[in-house]
Amino acid sequence: MLPELTSILYQFGTNAAFLLLSALGLIVILGMMNIINLAHGEFMMLGAYAASFVVHRGMPFPLAVIMAFFATALFGIVLERLVIRRFYGRELGALVTTWGISLILAQGALLLFGPYMPPIPIPGGAVSVGVFSFSVYWLILIGISVVLVAGLALVYRATRFGLQARATMQNPIIARSLGIRTGQIYMLTFGLGAGLAGLSGALLAPTTSIAPYMGQQFVAPAFITVVVGGGANVIAGAVGSSAFLSLIETPVSLTLGTFYGTMALLVMALMVIRVLPAGISSLGARLRPIVAR
Amino acid sequence: MSDLENVSTDSGIASDGAQAVGASAGPTRRSLIQGAAGLAAASVVLAHPAIVRAATESPVKIGFIEDESGNLSIYGIQKLHAAQLAVHEINDGFTLAGGPVGSGSLGTMGIYTPTPPTLTSGPGPKLTIVDDGGEPSAHAIVTADPEEILIPSGEKGLLGRPVDLLSSDGQSNNTLWQQLARRMIQQDKVDVLVAGFASAEREAIRPIVDQRKQLYFYTNQYEGGVADSYTFCTGAVCEQQVIPVMQYMVEKFGPKIFTIAANYNFGQLTAAWVRSFAPVLKAKVIGEEFPPLEVSEFSSVIAKVQAAKPDWVMTLLVGQNQSNYYPQAAAAGLHLPMASTVNMAQGYEHKRFTPPSLANMHNAVNYMQEIPTKRNQDFVARFYKMFPNDPYLGQMAQNTYFSIHLYAKAARLIGTTDQEKVRRTLEAGWAIEAPEGTVFLEPATHHASHYIRLAATDEKQQISFVREWPMIEAWWLQRLGVNLVRHPEYKQYTPQEDPFFKMFS
Repeated sequence: MLPELTSILYQFGTNAAFLLLSALGLIVILGMMNIINLAHGEFMMLGAYAASFVVHRGMPFPLAVIMAFFATALFGIVLERLVIRRFYGRELGALVTTWGISLILAQGALLLFGPYMPPIPIPGGAVSVGVFSFSVYWLILIGISVVLVAGLALVYRATRFGLQARATMQNPIIARSLGIRTGQIYMLTFGLGAGLAGLSGALLAPTTSIAPYMGQQFVAPAFITVVVGGGANVIAGAVGSSAFLSLIETPVSLTLGTFYGTMALLVMALMVIRVLPAGISSLGARLRPIVAR
Repeated sequence: MSDLENVSTDSGIASDGAQAVGASAGPTRRSLIQGAAGLAAASVVLAHPAIVRAATESPVKIGFIEDESGNLSIYGIQKLHAAQLAVHEINDGFTLAGGPVGSGSLGTMGIYTPTPPTLTSGPGPKLTIVDDGGEPSAHAIVTADPEEILIPSGEKGLLGRPVDLLSSDGQSNNTLWQQLARRMIQQDKVDVLVAGFASAEREAIRPIVDQRKQLYFYTNQYEGGVADSYTFCTGAVCEQQVIPVMQYMVEKFGPKIFTIAANYNFGQLTAAWVRSFAPVLKAKVIGEEFPPLEVSEFSSVIAKVQAAKPDWVMTLLVGQNQSNYYPQAAAAGLHLPMASTVNMAQGYEHKRFTPPSLANMHNAVNYMQEIPTKRNQDFVARFYKMFPNDPYLGQMAQNTYFSIHLYAKAARLIGTTDQEKVRRTLEAGWAIEAPEGTVFLEPATHHASHYIRLAATDEKQQISFVREWPMIEAWWLQRLGVNLVRHPEYKQYTPQEDPFFKMFS
């Protein structure tokens, strides 16, 4: 019984970590800035490309992941200055623009770097319990995703930047009148979101093939996680929705197969949005209004 | 018929000439062949002044659609480049050996005897036949693959006209495929259409092809079953790939099979072949999983395989997302032997993933660039000379290459690019010397027999070919009684229509 239980827990953990890592950058860009960023997958691709590039020039993988964060964040900041800032408050304009950016980035990567990048070997081995064996790297990823989300919450709760960012997102005019440089805050927030997407792209890179269109696989899970989580408290919402969705997906996949597991996840996402249009986090907001925001 | 005899004699002479040059020339063979081709072309031009005038005529148009961008571009670009190489060779005055008389030397099971048969003179004829020569000393495949397959065609271009490759990018988008096919057939009026990677793309454009009676080559490996008067399927199909690899896997690793297949027509139909053939081999499919194409995280699939404890795993996974299964399974410590009909030969996963993700993988392929024969290594060298930065030359690229040469040979034989006439000519029982070996285009079903090799990877994901079948026919449509020469059809058969698939289960 213990091996089966461990296997179910492991699957639950990897499913949730996959959703959470996919959503990490989007939590900031969609959840906080309200930009429907269809280039999210390509930001993750950039992170994976950057990591692969430096790993194969001798940099250790953990350093490469950190480097991928800064490289993608820098790219995000440049993009924000040049393009994105012209579309604040125009959600549909931003949607079309980021879609265009995603096409340019993916096809550009194909033209510049060819159909694939050298793969990154998965660090760590496997541990066995009974007939089942588990990837150590996925166990590490589960831990890292928890740490990253906690860190993000800390930045937004406990730092001056977090306070100013929350103020800017809530009401930019009043924030500006209080002396906050909102333009700079927008720029840094977008950079942070892009950087986090690149970071999770680099973290997931060993588990996938690093290719121009790799980003597409993360876009749907990312949007589902953030939207189901809702906007009342984006970070807690994303944690809640990734845990909730994998709680549904894992047993269904295990008993009926992967196809029905995916179906169950999508149906459950639909039902949550129907019953709680503002997402899972609105549940918390309703119960404890003081804690929210 | 007189046309047919004339031209086949011509190509026979050209073939002989090229082999003689090749044998004597050593390292400068290439330049000599080119010289010989020039001479041949010149002599043709001198003999037929009409061709000089014809050279200024409008080009022969080969319509070509593949995915040069998007998710499937990893396959599409290889195919495009192989098509460009074929067209370049045709315009340079070359063709592949072969013809409707079957000049190919097909492999056959042979028996060697310790004493060779002898015919002696003397009082009365004494003929010692093979069986009387004692016990067979060895069983072996007897083949005589000519090493030089690229021979002068006798003209630069096709029928005195240059050949143009009109290529369009399908962008991995089925709707766009239909628009492009319509434009190529109706506006550009292409003489032949060569197109299609995914089965969904082929099925998207096939109704348009049939409606406009367009001569069409589908060069992909696929699930089989297309019986279409206007379509020629030159890639390998299930009966050529699934059965050989299963036979090997059951012999070597055991009878318990777990199938993981992409959840769309290709994966479902190929899995049906695996299921129905397992009992024939005294094996059993003990578990099946059909992950949707969107799935890219495989922990539950891996856990199911581990719980089922199969002897080997049949992976029919397609596309970027699903290829993640391999590194994830390896990282989770799942190191079971694997078999496939798609991996390595198309998306060169053995080169893209770090070992041991693709270690112990088996695939019965009709082509991979690693095939060590001289004719193939020459082909590989020609390809990389033209495209030095390409990462791989795979199965579908080779199919595209010989299909375009085959089209040119048929048009040259009948002396026109009239589509109806070329189509009928292609139904003349062609054997063409492709880089893989001899390929025979079966007239009645429009499918090709192939030289199948079982590619296996070692720990370091190096390829070796562990078993060879010099000729496996695409026999399933014949079994169903398809004869496109006598009874036109425009459909795709599925295993559900054949009682065979339930016979043993």
